Amino acid sequence: MANFWNLVQNENMKIYRRIRAWIMLGFVALAPIAISIIYIIASGEFDANNWEMMTLETTILYQLITIFTVVKAADSVAGEFSTGTIKLLLIRPWSRSMILLSKFVALLLFAVVQMVLLFVVTWGINALLFGVNSDASGIIPSGSPLAGHSVWGYVGLMYLYLFIAQLMIIAVAFMLSSAFRSGGLAIGLSIFVLFSGSIITGLLSLTDKAWVKYVLFANIDVTSYLNGSTPLPNQDMTLGFSLAVLAGYFIVLNLISWLVFVKRDVAA
Amino acid sequence: MSQAPAAILQDVTKKIGGRTIIDRVSLEISPGEVFGFLGPNGSGKTTTIRMMVGLMALTAGDITIGGHSVKTSYAASAAQVGAIVENPEMYKYLTGYQNLVHYARMNPSVTKERIDEVVKLVGLDGRIHDKVKKYSLGMRQRLGVAQAVMHRPKLLILDEPTNGLDPAGIRELRDYLRRLSREEGTAVFVSSHLLSEMELMCDRVAILQKGKLIDIRSIRGPANKTGEEQIAVFDVDHPENALGVLEGRGDGKLEDGSLVITATREQIADANRILVEAGFKVYGIRTRTKSLEDQFLEVTGGETIG
Ligand SMILES: Nc1ncnc2c1ncn2[C@@H]1O[C@H](COP(=O)(O)OP(=O)(O)O)[C@@H](O)[C@H]1O
Ligand SMILES: [Mg+2]
Repeated sequence: MANFWNLVQNENMKIYRRIRAWIMLGFVALAPIAISIIYIIASGEFDANNWEMMTLETTILYQLITIFTVVKAADSVAGEFSTGTIKLLLIRPWSRSMILLSKFVALLLFAVVQMVLLFVVTWGINALLFGVNSDASGIIPSGSPLAGHSVWGYVGLMYLYLFIAQLMIIAVAFMLSSAFRSGGLAIGLSIFVLFSGSIITGLLSLTDKAWVKYVLFANIDVTSYLNGSTPLPNQDMTLGFSLAVLAGYFIVLNLISWLVFVKRDVAA
Repeated sequence: MSQAPAAILQDVTKKIGGRTIIDRVSLEISPGEVFGFLGPNGSGKTTTIRMMVGLMALTAGDITIGGHSVKTSYAASAAQVGAIVENPEMYKYLTGYQNLVHYARMNPSVTKERIDEVVKLVGLDGRIHDKVKKYSLGMRQRLGVAQAVMHRPKLLILDEPTNGLDPAGIRELRDYLRRLSREEGTAVFVSSHLLSEMELMCDRVAILQKGKLIDIRSIRGPANKTGEEQIAVFDVDHPENALGVLEGRGDGKLEDGSLVITATREQIADANRILVEAGFKVYGIRTRTKSLEDQFLEVTGGETIG
């Protein structure tokens, strides 16, 4: 059969041929610039550490990127059902599994494009405004396994770990989009996961029960390992453990998306 | 006519929530024929079509298209089908052309030249680069037909395709479907709840009622050579007397000063001989196939449509 990439190209077309995708990319590109300029105006000086500004802006805008991708993920399947276009999409000589996979791949690409853009812009604007600071000790906490190492390694891992968290939230949104075919529900619940994660982790840390370390929220933010701590201080957790738990959730979430999408009668 | 059927439906059954929506429907569609699927709203036409294109699973029975079962070799069967299911919903934020490119990418046989060709064929060349949200319903139907025929399917399925078309558009579609079936040998499966449309468009019509297939009739052609009844209009000099002479031979009545009988081909010839032998002047005989409406009312026991 034909090339799987054709399906991904179709999904890309449905993402980037809409003006809102470009507004989202515009925000990701311009917001870091605005934050740096506001800092200069507010403090009246140019002496910030470019690495500090970069990681600060990354932490903020990572959430925006997650929301943008969740919006696209919610629309990806549920939107095709609500407009009825799913019918003409599914009567082609392709299995539903491949069509679903192409949608997921296109969403991941959209997230990657935004993360790369964020990396380039946050590095570029702060290097431009503040120069490249050779002293990176300020941004790598002393307890970090990377303390004393290259700042590039630290920032690179930070992006990777943030992307892993993002991947989980996209999987939640995608599952809700294909299982319940409701874009609103998918957006609402996955943004809840994004923002309530740290609060729920805080609650979970109040108990010593062993099962809490298997909860999704307790593992989703693996950046705490980067800073030399663990998400739940009372629990025996490692980076490897959290990644394994996340992989388990990832498989289950996508299995649900897949089973529902492949089995269900299309009566849209 | 020993060609393999383009599609076979065998005891197709669909139950949803314990309710039987389609009940053991069996039929065969031959290459090159326009096959009508007639039934009142809610009789199960769309549900049957959804099963033919793989949007819904069958509860029982099987559907094969070009010899490939939709249950066991879906991709192979889908490659031979082009369809519009209910309304032709397209991506409104894309242009008509981008929509076609989207579907073309999913079917390796469609070239860029072929896309241009079908755009011309459905008469959208002037507006194909406009966004679909600016299209009228008629234009969307045309775009729907374009995506359905783009890959030269063996079976073209159109679910109530005349919805939203004006009389000129309907006529055009009818002519196009005839050409497609005659010239390219495409089997065309069209559903409708309108009798009059089916009569003009189809070679055969299956009548569906409450999920059950109650009859399959030929509209024209071979049917007249069999024992099928026709309506014959006799232009005679004394119609009232002629009616008396033919008493007991078929169903006769007077209509606009002519003698009208419903009879088989042989009975019509007999009636003519009797009239001539009885000294009537027969100026002419016109026959017409019983209208589908007559047939429909007959088989459904007069239940109204729609
Ligand atoms: N998804 C569904 N769930 C339950 N009943 C359905 C569903 N889809 C259709 N039906 C019922 O099946 C019957 C046939 O519907 P449909 O195939 O749309 O008829 P038609 O296309 O001939 O108008 C109707 O009574 C309808 O209410
Ligand atoms: Mg219908």
